[in-house]
Amino acid sequence: MSALSRRAMTSTFLRAFLVQGSWNYHTMLGTGFAFAILPGLKQIFDDDPESMDTSVRRHLDHFNAHPYLANVALGAALRLEADGTDAQTVRRFKTAVRGPLGGLGDSLIWAAWLPTVSMTALALWWIGLPGWVVVAGFLALYNAGHLALRVWGFRAGLQSGRDVARSLREARLSQLGSRIQSVASLLVGVLTGAVLAGQGGLSEAGLPWLILAIGCFVAGLLVGHRVWRPTAIAIVCAITLIAAWGVLP
Amino acid sequence: MELVLIALLGGGLALDATSVGQFMLSRPLVTGALTGWMLGDPALGLMIGTVLELYLLVSFPSGGARFPEATTATVVAVATASVSTAPGAIPLAIAIGLAWGQVGGFSITALRKVNGFIVPEAADPNAGASRVAAAHLGAIVLDFLRGVLITGVGVAIGRLVVARLAVAWPLGEREGFALMLAGAAVSVGILLHDLGGFRERRVLFVAGLALGIVGVRLL
Repeated sequence: MSALSRRAMTSTFLRAFLVQGSWNYHTMLGTGFAFAILPGLKQIFDDDPESMDTSVRRHLDHFNAHPYLANVALGAALRLEADGTDAQTVRRFKTAVRGPLGGLGDSLIWAAWLPTVSMTALALWWIGLPGWVVVAGFLALYNAGHLALRVWGFRAGLQSGRDVARSLREARLSQLGSRIQSVASLLVGVLTGAVLAGQGGLSEAGLPWLILAIGCFVAGLLVGHRVWRPTAIAIVCAITLIAAWGVLP
Repeated sequence: MELVLIALLGGGLALDATSVGQFMLSRPLVTGALTGWMLGDPALGLMIGTVLELYLLVSFPSGGARFPEATTATVVAVATASVSTAPGAIPLAIAIGLAWGQVGGFSITALRKVNGFIVPEAADPNAGASRVAAAHLGAIVLDFLRGVLITGVGVAIGRLVVARLAVAWPLGEREGFALMLAGAAVSVGILLHDLGGFRERRVLFVAGLALGIVGVRLL
């Protein structure tokens, strides 16, 4: 660890914000991971460019994780490289963590944190808060969680190295995701109530629109994601037909 | 000149969706407000951003997922609606945004295939630090250019459509807005489905519903 300067660690952390820049179906985050870890590797293999290139190539392998939690693997891989861990162990470690880091991040961020913050912002806008307050509040709240997770993940990886799984278990991230989802369920209700009863809401538009909205809501609730695209297509077609109706002589 | 600036804004914001940072500047709510502010009508931008945020609540920028591109869709919708004050401008702009989001999604898939050819292989003995950095940063530049192109073409087409059709829109403003909201209700249903379904979450959902109704009545 002593081999790594604060500058190298900071640079690696900042590069992690670009980890998905070259996302592709072949190596997924692989190239982004190698790009992000470069400053650390440059310092570790300062006097041995050949070993550095070998190490860079090692990190070009297929890798995937949630982009925020990729920091956990990045910090841990940097620690393993700094400790002089053999190539096979580093590779095995990355293979072992990529699945859990993807699933955990997806359930915590995409399925809990982002919708919760989005719905909070939408409900506040609907209730009548000024737009700039809503947008600024959305960005501040979302990124407070986002940045905290990135910083925690990178530090946990750096400190724990191969034992980072224990840090993940102790952090109880999946339980945290479940609690956030409970808040999200409450907010789905708040938003629905605000859209139904608020000024310019569906209750003012009349019964046919209310029935249509309830039908769409129930379809989404029962069928899930499969119904999104057909509904979007139906709305686009409906708007197009109505507009065309107006143009007809 | 305005079209170029809008396209650059779309390209820049689209980077945030996956390639750079993911600070959620690319969400419709934020993108709509920024585009509206740039065009001198932040309220319009925020309104369209809010409706598209509702639709795209369930579209996450998850790495491998194929999803409609919310960012360019929102920039296109706001820039399209801004050319007309007719009641049909906003529903048409939303429809164009939703359709163009699919085009944006296809372009992301295509770019990811291209990225597969430009990134160096682990087995390549010439793949060193500089080559990795060049390929990675090059892919980010390509994503920016993709966003610029998709936004620019979308706005150009969208503005032509709105200029032709918005004035003849036969419904009132309220009905148009109600149609958009009714469609967006599907995403709210899907979200509740993802959160465990009505049976699992009914107490919290109903409590929230009551809170929302009382809240808007009181405020």
